[in-house]
Order: sequence, then C-alpha cells, then structure tokens
Amino acid sequence: MTDVMTRRSAPALADRLKPFSLPLGIVALLLVFALIEPRVISGANLRNIALQTSFLAIFAAAQCVVLLTRGFDLSLGVTVSLVSVGAGMAMTSAGVAAGLAAGCGIALAVGLFNGLLIGAIGINAFVATLGTSYVVMALASTLSGGFPVAPLPPAFNAIFAQGSLFGIRAAIWVALIVLLAIGLMLRFTTLGRRLYLVGASARAATAAGIRPAAVLIAAYAICGLLAGIGALLLTARTGSGEPNLGGNLTLESIAAAVVGGAKLTGGEGGISSALLGALFITVLSNGMNLVQVDGYIQQVFLGAIIVLSLILGRDGARR
Amino acid sequence: MLNVSGLTKRFGGFTALEAVDFTLLPGEVHALLGENGAGKSTLINAICGTFPPSEGNVQLDGRSLLDLSPLRVREVGVAPVFQEFSLAPALSVLDNLFLGREATRGPFLRRGEMRREAEALLSRIGFSLPLDEKVSRLSRAQKQMVEIAKALRLSPKILILDEPTASLTDGEAEKLFEAVARLKAQGVGILYVSHRMAEIRRLSDRVTVLRGGRLIATVHTADVTDAELIEMMVGRPVDELFPEIHNSPGAPALRVSDLSTATGSIRAASIEARKGEVIGLAGLVGCGRSELCRAIFGLEDISSGEVVLGETPVAKPRPDRMIAAGICYFPGDRAAEGLALNRPARENVSMAGLRLRKLSRGGLLRAGAEPEVVAGPLDKLGLRPMMPERRAGAFSGGNQQKVMLARGLVDDFDVYLFDEPTVGIDVGAKTDVYRFIKQLAESGACVIVSTSELPELLHLSDRIYVMAGGAVVQEIARDEASETAILSHYFGE
Amino acid sequence: MSVTTDNPAPAGPSRLEGFLVNGGVVLVLLVLVVAVSAAVEPRFLNKLNLMNMGRNFAFLAIPALAQMLVMTTGGFDLSLGAVVASGSVVSALVMRSMGADLPEAGVAPVLAALAAALALGLAIGAFNGWLVARFNISAFMVTLATASAIVGVVLFQTQGIPIYGVSEGFIDLIGRGRIGPVPYVALIALALVALGIVMQRGTRFGRHIYAVGSDARAALLSGVPRAKVLIATYALAGALAGVTGFLMTARLGSGQGTIAETLAMQTIAAAVIGGVSLRGGVARAELVALAALFLTVMANAMNLMRIDSKFQTLVLGLVLLGALALERLVLREKTE
Repeated sequence: MTDVMTRRSAPALADRLKPFSLPLGIVALLLVFALIEPRVISGANLRNIALQTSFLAIFAAAQCVVLLTRGFDLSLGVTVSLVSVGAGMAMTSAGVAAGLAAGCGIALAVGLFNGLLIGAIGINAFVATLGTSYVVMALASTLSGGFPVAPLPPAFNAIFAQGSLFGIRAAIWVALIVLLAIGLMLRFTTLGRRLYLVGASARAATAAGIRPAAVLIAAYAICGLLAGIGALLLTARTGSGEPNLGGNLTLESIAAAVVGGAKLTGGEGGISSALLGALFITVLSNGMNLVQVDGYIQQVFLGAIIVLSLILGRDGARR
Repeated sequence: MLNVSGLTKRFGGFTALEAVDFTLLPGEVHALLGENGAGKSTLINAICGTFPPSEGNVQLDGRSLLDLSPLRVREVGVAPVFQEFSLAPALSVLDNLFLGREATRGPFLRRGEMRREAEALLSRIGFSLPLDEKVSRLSRAQKQMVEIAKALRLSPKILILDEPTASLTDGEAEKLFEAVARLKAQGVGILYVSHRMAEIRRLSDRVTVLRGGRLIATVHTADVTDAELIEMMVGRPVDELFPEIHNSPGAPALRVSDLSTATGSIRAASIEARKGEVIGLAGLVGCGRSELCRAIFGLEDISSGEVVLGETPVAKPRPDRMIAAGICYFPGDRAAEGLALNRPARENVSMAGLRLRKLSRGGLLRAGAEPEVVAGPLDKLGLRPMMPERRAGAFSGGNQQKVMLARGLVDDFDVYLFDEPTVGIDVGAKTDVYRFIKQLAESGACVIVSTSELPELLHLSDRIYVMAGGAVVQEIARDEASETAILSHYFGE
Repeated sequence: MSVTTDNPAPAGPSRLEGFLVNGGVVLVLLVLVVAVSAAVEPRFLNKLNLMNMGRNFAFLAIPALAQMLVMTTGGFDLSLGAVVASGSVVSALVMRSMGADLPEAGVAPVLAALAAALALGLAIGAFNGWLVARFNISAFMVTLATASAIVGVVLFQTQGIPIYGVSEGFIDLIGRGRIGPVPYVALIALALVALGIVMQRGTRFGRHIYAVGSDARAALLSGVPRAKVLIATYALAGALAGVTGFLMTARLGSGQGTIAETLAMQTIAAAVIGGVSLRGGVARAELVALAALFLTVMANAMNLMRIDSKFQTLVLGLVLLGALALERLVLREKTE
C-alpha cells in the first residue's frame, strides 16, 4: 500500500497526454503516408479506411470484452469461418433471415462453449480457446467440405455489403451500433460493472457475492456473438460462405485491442481501445499498401508496432 | 555493528518514518515494538535495501548499506525473515534452502553435498523439515522454518525476524528461541519484531518503540514494565483506544453446529451468536478461525454440519445467497480478496450491493444514484482523502480498509464477519474500525471478529471462542477473559 | 522426518492423483491408441511406418521441449514455429551459397548451416527473452509480434518458394539416416530429452528456471538473476527451434518458409497434455516427450486409417480440452 502512494506523487505530463497519443499517432501516420502518396487522404480512400476499420473494430471489441476479464479468445478467427460457412448454408437453403439466425446462433454457441470451459470448469482461457479453435476449425472445414458456399441470395450482399444509409455503408452502421451498445453495456449495466470487477480481482468479486463463472460465461458469449456479427458482414462482402474467412483475424483482433490500449491484466480499459486500435492498424496497413510496401514486410512492421505499443503502454514502468 | 541514523522515509506526502535512530550491537537481541503502521516494516525495509530512505543513513560495521540492492545487502550479512515468504513453492525444501547459491560442479548440482550441509544446518538450529517435500505442500509454520533456515545458512551478521512466532506452535517457537540464543552467543545481532510481551521479555536486551513513524524510546528491557511498553506503543492507556460497547444480546442471529470443511481446515466446530453481540474468534494463524468465517459465507466447501441464519438453516452457503440473506463478510487479505485495487473506491463500495434497487433496475445501473449511495457510508467511516473516484489501491492501508467496510453500510445486514479487521492499518484507522464495530453491534447487528490481536478480543467481544487445529476448544465469557485465559487454549488443551 | 504442528500440511497426493500427475493418463491413452491401431491396421507396426513415426516424433518433441522451457518460467513462445521456418530457410540458404550439392564441398556447408540455424534461433530467442525480462510485458504478445515479423522476413526472402541446393549427403545422412530401425533424428530428439531431464533435475540453471516461474520475487531475493535466466531460457528455446528447422531441411531436402505454421500451438498442446503448468514452475521433460509421442502416434494412426485430416484436428482439440478439464476437475487446486 505504501509503494502505491509514490505513483501519484508526480502526475507527469506524459501521463496526462497518454490518452491522446494514439489519436495523434493515427493522424501523424496518415500525414506521413499522405506525403509519400497523396491518394492516402483522398475521399475514396478515407471511406475505404472507414469500411475496413469497421470490420476489425467489431472483432477487436469482441476481444476487448474478454480481455477485460483477463482472458482472450484464440478461437475468434475460426469462429468467423464457421459462422460464414454455417450461415451461408442456411441462407442458400432457407433464405437470408434463416442465415442470419444460424450465424448468430452458431457464434453464440461457440462463445458459450468457451465460457463454460473457462468459467464453469476453470480452464485457462488461452488453452481453452486454443482447444476450441481446433474443434471449430474441424467443424468449419467438414461442413463446407473445403469449398466456398455459393451462391448466396443476392439480397444478402445487396443489403449488408452494398447497402447504405445517409451515404454510410451498412457495415459501418453495424460497427457503430455494436461499439455503442458494448460501450453502454460496460458503463451502464450491472453486467458491465461485473466484467470489470471480475477482471480486476475475481477473488474480491467472489467475496462480494459476484459469481465469476456466470460473468465469464456471459463475456465469452458476447465475444462469440460479436465475432458472428462481424463474420456475417464479411460474408456479405465476399458473397460466399468461406471456410478460411477467419484467417489471421484472431491475431489481428488481439493486436488491435492491445495496440488500442486494452490491458492483458484485466479490469481496465474500454471499448475505445477497440476502435482506436482497429483504426490504427487499418491506417497502417492501408497506407503501406498504397505506398507499395511488400505484403510480407508489412508483417514485420505490424510486429514492431505491437511490441512498441506494449512497451509504451505498460504499467511496469511505474511499479 | 548496525547503525541507523536520522532515517526518514516519505511516500508522496505521507511520512512513514521520521528521523529514527537505531543501533544493534553484536550478540544483542533488540526488539522492535510498535503497532501496525508504526513504521516497523518501513524501518526493516530501509535496512534491507528494499527501498532507499528519503534522508538519513544505514551503516553496517561503518559501511553504508544505502546504495546496495536488496540482494547485495543480504550478501554483506543482513538476513531478513519476513512474514511474506521468499520461497519458490514449486521447488523442494532442499532446493529452496540453496536457491541462488547452489553448490555446483560446473553447471551440475552437487546434491549430496547440499543435502549434507542442509542436514547439518537443520540439526544445528534444531529444526526438523522434510527436505524433499515441495514447499507448496508445507504448512505455514514449516514454511516459516524453511525461511529462517535459509536466512541462517549464510551465517549472517544480522538476523531480522519479523514476527517469527506468529504461526508457530509453542514447541516450534521454543526451538526458534533456542536457535536465537545460540546465534546470540555466536555474536549475531538480532532485530526481533514481535507483539508478544512474553517473548520480548524473554529474548531481548533492549527494546525500541516506534509510533506513527517516530522513535518513542529505546530502553533496556529489564528497566520497563509491560504496561509502560504498551503505553509507549499505543500513545495512551490501552483502555482509551477501545470504545465501550453497550450491547444487549437479543435473538439468535447465527448458529453453526458441527461444521467441518472438505479440506479439513475446520473440524466439527460449533458457535452461536446473537443479535447485538460481538463474538471474538481467537487462535493462532491457521487455527481455522478465518476458515470458519469463510465457510459460513460460502467460500469454503462444507463437508458436514449446519449453518443456521436466524431461524432458517442454509443448505449450501454461497456468497451471493449469503449476502442476500443478510451476512456481510470482510476478508482478512484486503489486497487479494477484499478489493478490486485498480477500480475506483466507488465501485468497490457498491460491489456487494449491485442487485439492490437503489443501485440497479433490471440489470441497468443507476449510475446517477450510485455516487450518493456510496457517499453516506464512506462519510460515516471517514475516508481520507474523500475521493471516491480514486483507485482503491491508491489509498493507504487504513483507508483501503474503510473502503471495504463501507460495503457493509450500503445494505442492511444482520451478521457481520470480520477477519483480521485491523491488519496493516494505523492507530487512527483502528479506532475508526472499532467505532464502526461498536455502532454495528449497538444498532442490533451480530458481529463476529476473528483476530490475532489479543487486546481486540479482550476489549471488543462479549464472548470469545478459542480455536485450535480447526476445532473450537473453548468458549470464554467476557468477565472470565484475560490474556492468559485465552492463550492457555491456543494449543488445544 | 516429520513435523507436528497444529496446522498439518495438506495431505499428500492420493494414488490416483499421483498417477494422473505423473502422466498416467497419457500413458494409458498411448497404449490404447497403439493397441487399437495395431489390431485394426496391420501397416501400423510396419518398419517403415515406425520409422516415419520416429521422425515425426522428433519434429514435435524438440520444439515441444523448447516450449516447455519457456512455459516453466511462466511464459509462452508463439514464435517457435516461425523460428523453425527461419532455421530451415537459413540452413538451406547457407548450404546453397556454399555449394553444398557439389561433391567436393564436404561437411563444411552442413556444419555452417547448423551453426547458422542455431545462431539465428539463439538470437531471436534472446531478443524475445530480453523484451519479456526488460519491459515486463506479456510473453504471449511479445512472441506473437516477433512471430509475425519473422514470418514476414522469411516469406519476403523466399517468396514462399522452397530453397533447393541442399547437399544430398546431408539429406541421406541426417534426413534418412538411421541406426538399425531408429532414425537419427529420433535419436537426436531422445538425446535432447535426456539432456532436458538432466538439466531440469541436476543443474543450477534448471533450478533457476523453475524458481523464476514459481515465484519471480522470491527468486530475485534469493539471488537468482531473473532477467538473465529469462533471456537464457528463451534463447535456448530459440536454439532448439533453430535445430528443428535444420533437421526439417534435411528431411524435406529443401528450406521452406511455410513449414511449421501451426507448430507453436501444437507444442503448447503437447506441453499442456504433458502436465506443464500454465502458471509456471511445474514441468517435466519426460512427460512432455511422452505427450509428443502420443500426439504423433495418434496422428499417424488416424492417417493410416484414412481418417480425414479435419477430423484429426477435431480429435486434437478434444484431447486437449479433455486433458485440461480432467486436470481441473480431478486435481482442482485448492489455492488459486
């Protein structure tokens, strides 16, 4: 308790600037790219960035919810694949509505499964979701036989990929609604509060009558559902149910959340880290594409950025 | 040999230690006496190099220790044995004794040699420990002995013992005293921190008393009486520290009969508590009194026995149900179990009452009402500084405790279970806690206090249950209670 | 020797628990898989198949040992697969540049390739360890990031195309060589497992790895140089992965940047099934090797029985989850 007090002795300027560093970094990044390649800040490209960000932000939001509880979800990517395939199959046979329902149902089921493993049985989140990812991966490729599910009803693509309202694409609307809903949930519901408390100290929460098992199950269910929503949007965009749609999404979503400031130690942070992190990573990769950085070298930059943001964002320096 | 002069340590705006002088001679046992929060651990930590003091000097044989790392300080001859162990639980006792200083040939361990040396060491200090057992499987007392043996292995010039007997049985403590006497004869200087007057009297040559971070006095043990020492420590006659509780025992509030836990930490324990009554639970650390509180609240699995709340038996206690049924539990380990340290104080206060209508409706938080709901309790307990939005972990120990206790005022509870309610908090906060207990009891609640502080037991409780080895061994009424009466049952007879 | 106290030590493990902890479940499963496979599929015990299994065992067991070391300190190394790939590519590149496929080249290119793979793995591992130790940041995120960067560099260098020009003698000797029915690579793996056991049980470094993972603060106060131990552990893990890449090059006859994409996860699965604690401080090399053997045999048996690879993934997932659930439910630790 005594060493804690030294922390507040000097509220350094750097600490106060911290919340603004990422938005400023994003703007700076845009400007640097724009100097090399003016198209980066063209209206078309900015709209493109917004669209790209919205997908990643949904997945990052899913990770944020479980990161809050000191967990994470390594099965997110394959869940996206499974939802894409499952929803695609339901859609081709029973229509768009059935497809949406199937997609959300599958996603929720995977999330609940993770939640049970982690919350009820008490398995470490890392290996539990690793195990789930094997199972889900197998299901996705078995269901699809390894081939894309196509053609999907044209209405699906027309509404959820091409559709727009007030000139803003459907995916962006969905992302905004999802982020807003999760943000409100975290701030204004008892569940949101319990997520923070369980993440900060599961033992203290237990002693205060909160049941971590239930909270964890809810967290992973929400995480799964968000992955499902994102997967449906991505499926609408590609126009077919893809057994490999999830690809690198697990790692990208974790990277986005962490770069955005989510803490692996739980109990801190909010939904803004999902948005900012997703935006940062999208701007970075979009810019690198436009200035024609080799795709493989982009991976190197991504790795460096993750390490850098971890070093800059750590609490360790103050401890 | 050891010379501490003008030592001052400030944490932010808080002065933990102010211009303290302290000397330790070779072959001397020097007791350090003071309440929790008096600055004892700050002084020890400054000597050990855990954190550098703000002002002053620490010298060992004329050589300054200030610029040395904790590890180097140990290497030059200061061996601290803290209550918090520095053992690797996954390794064996033998490995721990030699951790960081293994006997090796090339990269390889010389196990035979280490074993022989360890056996010699243990027989020299008269401890008996299973060398091949993993430390995680040892009892607390055994861990304590490993820790002490480890410190002695380096043949230190100075041994610092921080409440070494807190978890030892009489027999084990006796061994420790013999070891202390032997080391003393060998010229080792021993800094001995303890609350127990009998030990201090038996072992020490001099006593230094600290209070509120200041040096009160250094005296020869033979020259003072116990009462004088206690008054120096507390700063006023003991009786003024504790409020007088006007209790009026009413209807039965809680009855526990023949309760045993699955882990065996409690064996067929029975207690009874009435409304408006303060019940003390006494016993050594590990005697089962903490576990009894936890089991009643549903944090330990019960294998047999019954918990009856008012008139209703509770089939299987579970924290959320017990809170709803009117039991409030304050854990002894504040940092690990009491508080979510990186969340604001406000959230920690409302944590146990989120289901209440004044805090939520249908799963939606009443965010607007919450600050008001927590303000009352925090005000009543006197949180300082009154900043409910600050992280709980940023408050001092006493104020963290108040944040946790404020929980008990958010809702109406019939039974309050306190486990070690004054651990690691200063005298001022202690009196606040005692006043809180008084208010609860006088307003008709049933209060159960499990504590290792004898004065608390004697001054607060109407009745005392003494526990040993997981069983309730004696019930003592207020007018029969005395320090000796309680202590005589600590070992189960 | 025993001590009587009023607070007895927790009871020792029951026989069942002891059996489970000591890899009994894995052993039973292994015997079961072997028995069923041998009964159902005669080719299973065929000499060629056994040799094949031996090699596959090596390619899982060596990196699993590496993963185990890192996990003992309480960390993870997700970059192991990437290091294996880079080790493979680097050894092929070195051999090719030294003209290893020419008859007069001799063993120098092979040794140089081994040295290069080792050095690269060591360097990457040390970098990982330095980041983890110096900045106190999550090993998971650090190695995830370095994995991304390494894969990027490797694929940029190779553009995903295998690198040929590897010495035939090298392929014959290390890739195909064997003593009796036992392939060299399996022997190397067994030797490394034995070394691992000796290191864990009998060396100061082994003790220090356990101590750092068990309680970092206690280790530091006891004079265990935490940072050095962490860096050395990650470096050693990287070196083992580098060697794996070198051996894989011998087996495949070319350096490939795309091998081992899922290897990091597989090694974690092997380590966890082998009883390595995710909280650090608990690990035994022989059990990890046993788990690697079990996973190898199971995959081989399923291949022989023409069980779809998707289904194999499913089985791997279920076995992993089953092992974890069993550990939690049977041995549920009383202290968190």
